[in-house]
Amino acid sequence: MIITRDQGTKAITILTVAVAIIAPFLSDNLYLLNLLSLMLICIIFASAWNLLAYSGQGSLGHAAFFGIGAYASTLIATASGITPYFTIFLGAGVAAFIGILIGLTCVRLKEWFLAMVTFGFAIIVQTLTVSILAPMTGGWDGISSPRLLSPSIPGYQFIEYYSILLITIATIIVIWYIMRSRLGLAFSAIRENELEARASGIDPVRYRLIAFGLSAYIAGVAGALQIHHIGYITPEIYSVDLSFWPVTYVIFGGLGTLAGPIVGTIALTIIWDGLKMAGITFARYVIVGILLILVIIFLPKGLVSLPDRLKEWWERRNDTAPPKTGRR
Amino acid sequence: MVDIGILLQILFWGIYAGCIYILLATGLNLIFGVMKIVNFAHGEFLMIGAYITATIFLISGINPYVIILLAMLALIGIGAVVERLCFRPILGSGKLNEIFLSIELIYIFQNGAAMVWGDEWQSVKSPYEGIAVPFGSLNLPLDYIIIMVVTAAILAALFIFLQKTRIGREMRATSQNRKGAMLVGINVERMDVLSFGIGCALAAAAGTLWVVSGQVFNPYMGSIPAVKAFAIIILGGLGSIPGAIIGGLLYGIAENAAAYFLGGVWKDAISFIILIVVLVFRPTGLFGESGE
Repeated sequence: MIITRDQGTKAITILTVAVAIIAPFLSDNLYLLNLLSLMLICIIFASAWNLLAYSGQGSLGHAAFFGIGAYASTLIATASGITPYFTIFLGAGVAAFIGILIGLTCVRLKEWFLAMVTFGFAIIVQTLTVSILAPMTGGWDGISSPRLLSPSIPGYQFIEYYSILLITIATIIVIWYIMRSRLGLAFSAIRENELEARASGIDPVRYRLIAFGLSAYIAGVAGALQIHHIGYITPEIYSVDLSFWPVTYVIFGGLGTLAGPIVGTIALTIIWDGLKMAGITFARYVIVGILLILVIIFLPKGLVSLPDRLKEWWERRNDTAPPKTGRR
Repeated sequence: MVDIGILLQILFWGIYAGCIYILLATGLNLIFGVMKIVNFAHGEFLMIGAYITATIFLISGINPYVIILLAMLALIGIGAVVERLCFRPILGSGKLNEIFLSIELIYIFQNGAAMVWGDEWQSVKSPYEGIAVPFGSLNLPLDYIIIMVVTAAILAALFIFLQKTRIGREMRATSQNRKGAMLVGINVERMDVLSFGIGCALAAAAGTLWVVSGQVFNPYMGSIPAVKAFAIIILGGLGSIPGAIIGGLLYGIAENAAAYFLGGVWKDAISFIILIVVLVFRPTGLFGESGE
């Protein structure tokens, strides 16, 4: 099952890109611009998580790599004075390196043992940040992080927004390329049937490590981008909540598809901030939670599969012929 | 050199903290044994149990150790509803799906509780607060001793239920071989509901004990103890209740030792360090077989 169907995927990607480019022109609203920037960063983060899931591994501690990328990039940029546009990729390298190390302990584990280890890993990293590494990281108080662009540049918000958009598109193209390459084939082979993958000469351990490294790298890019965008970093970045968000985005959009994280993030952001504007605070978690449970039960392939499901339903309604077997 | 009194104190506090982990881990083990599902939202049942106890206690003033039974009954009901509505439809569709579902359950329960009870830290004063029992050089709070006794009583009752009653035997049969149990006429879906309910009731007991010990609680308290309980059942062996008891005590003591020797921030991290170190050397856990 290779889900990357080019036509639909392309269309959705192009649509997304168009919306993302047009949106800021529609208003001079800086709040909206900031929201869109954070949404794009979430798309990168969710795509990173999705890539790991594509190889059949589930992580509940991706905030660890998000945070490591952010801290590493901040510390490198502060110490050296190099522009954050460059240190983002160095910081993500640190995240990838640590990701491969933790991957080494994980690759032989079953999928939910792995979820446990990654969850715990985020907590361990947070503890290290506020104890042993506190002289560097500022402990619980956090440290300020160099902005992507100096606020003295006129219209810097717009330039910042477009550079984030550019990095997002580049990331998605890279992931698309990975999924279509031999590497992606190997990932899905391991996910579908490890024994058969082994029989056809794929080393599962090696490819799982590669997936871990790539996913941690991209998550690190997202974390560094967000922190350089906000301008401040605290150990809250390792919170359980942040580890769960990419999971939620991806299952809402569609697990294992290229468009899934994009659609899921955009749709949930709209719902989320719409509810916030309506003045709903705690209840929005409950509403989104119930919505997600309904999606898991009734639409296990996510929102991306909705058009197909509707079409199928429509054809079955109009067809007197017996329905095709195998609803799922 | 560390004083022997301090070591004893760490041991005692560790056993007390372990009681809560044991109840959580035993419940998870029961659910995992029968249904083979992974429910990361188990800690939310602990939280709901804690709030039910606190609310009834503040309104009526009944002894909280009696309310434990009410909280357990209430959670059997809530657990049965959650099982029926959420987990049964996705049973057998993969571990990842169960994890996703439980993440959403975490959101629903935590924030639902925050809507009802507010999201501030709260605490409740036990009627026996301040009473201490002298033990050698130590003064042991009476509450902690009662908590240990209550935990032991609940575990004993569970043991008798599983070993001696017909339903208990059917439950064990389901957990050993689901298809076989079906063939001999056991209603396995009823066993699912029942084991989920009992697991939740054990979590409610843990929540009640958390409250009466005077610890603070809020709607977000449950997720980390639940994941630790999972770590415990991985270490102690999936489906093994003695393993859960040993693992729970080990974790309670290790955490208190870490908090004393390394500082309070290490309390949570140490459990996961133990888990990762064990899994590196034994990918199936300390006593685990390569089952599910």
